[in-house]
Amino acid sequence: MGVIGYGLGVIGAGLAIGISAYGATQAMARQPEIQDRAFTVFIMGAAFAEALALIGFVVTLVVR
Amino acid sequence: MEAFDKLPAEINHLVAEFSSIPVIGTLTLGLTQYTFWLLISAVLTLVVVFAYSKRAALVPHGIFPNIMETAINFVSRDMGQQIIGPTWREHFPFLASIFFFILINNLVGVIPGMKPGTGTISTTAALALVSFVYFVAVGIKRHGFVGYAKSLAPSGVMFPLNLLIWFIELISLILRPITLAVRLFCNMFAGHIVMGSFALMVSLFAEPLLHELTASGVLGALPAVGFAAILLVIYAIEIFVACVQAYVFTVLVSVYIQGVEAEGH
Repeated sequence: MGVIGYGLGVIGAGLAIGISAYGATQAMARQPEIQDRAFTVFIMGAAFAEALALIGFVVTLVVR
Repeated sequence: MEAFDKLPAEINHLVAEFSSIPVIGTLTLGLTQYTFWLLISAVLTLVVVFAYSKRAALVPHGIFPNIMETAINFVSRDMGQQIIGPTWREHFPFLASIFFFILINNLVGVIPGMKPGTGTISTTAALALVSFVYFVAVGIKRHGFVGYAKSLAPSGVMFPLNLLIWFIELISLILRPITLAVRLFCNMFAGHIVMGSFALMVSLFAEPLLHELTASGVLGALPAVGFAAILLVIYAIEIFVACVQAYVFTVLVSVYIQGVEAEGH
């Protein structure tokens, strides 16, 4: 059951990373000069979203 | 698939192995396996930094000085000048030591057989608390205690709303060290568990081959090759994550420092 719960939690993080990648690519396409900055912000956003999924994963494993 | 039937028990064993186990002494007073590797990577950090400072030159030659130069430039430019602004030089030592400490801890943990010092919540909580005290102290030094407390709420808001926003900002301030600690811990812990489970899959599928070598046994062990390939990819991702998490931690600390350095917001 815990694994199913983790799968549910990942949906949100997956959506979040997808949206941030969408925003980053669009910003880069419209304004190629800010590529470096946009990539940094994208990595940070992805790391935040991913952290939420990982919290779910760790809680699944640690709290049984 | 009998290999999958054995998996839950093996994963329980794996998770138990990743919780803090004292090597010397007890849990309250002693050395867990994480503290052991933490001490080793602390020594390693000192060795790397001092070795670089001996060989630092205007024009770096060789691989090692160039890598260090790039990393230091990265901290000073991306986190110092771009985020904090004119007063970055003051905070550079703190940011650089946090960055290198976390980076070397994470990278040591990626080597098979070693554990990351940051793979336990107590280490990351200590790092987060140090950063929290640091940026609150910077704020109090800049604005005075009352001034800092006032600067939590943005100026120019009407009276009753003011208090509400101040209260919300206070909660977000208290949440900052908690999120810093939990993010780093979860990334390192979960990454290693995932790598461990794929390694377990490989061993579970390949295990029957060790007892007897038959054609059907070889066919049954084929998934192990696929799992080994996935394991390699995850290993590469883990090296990337080790660097990104050190970066994210330091960037967030510098964003918080910038927040208290700025004249009200």
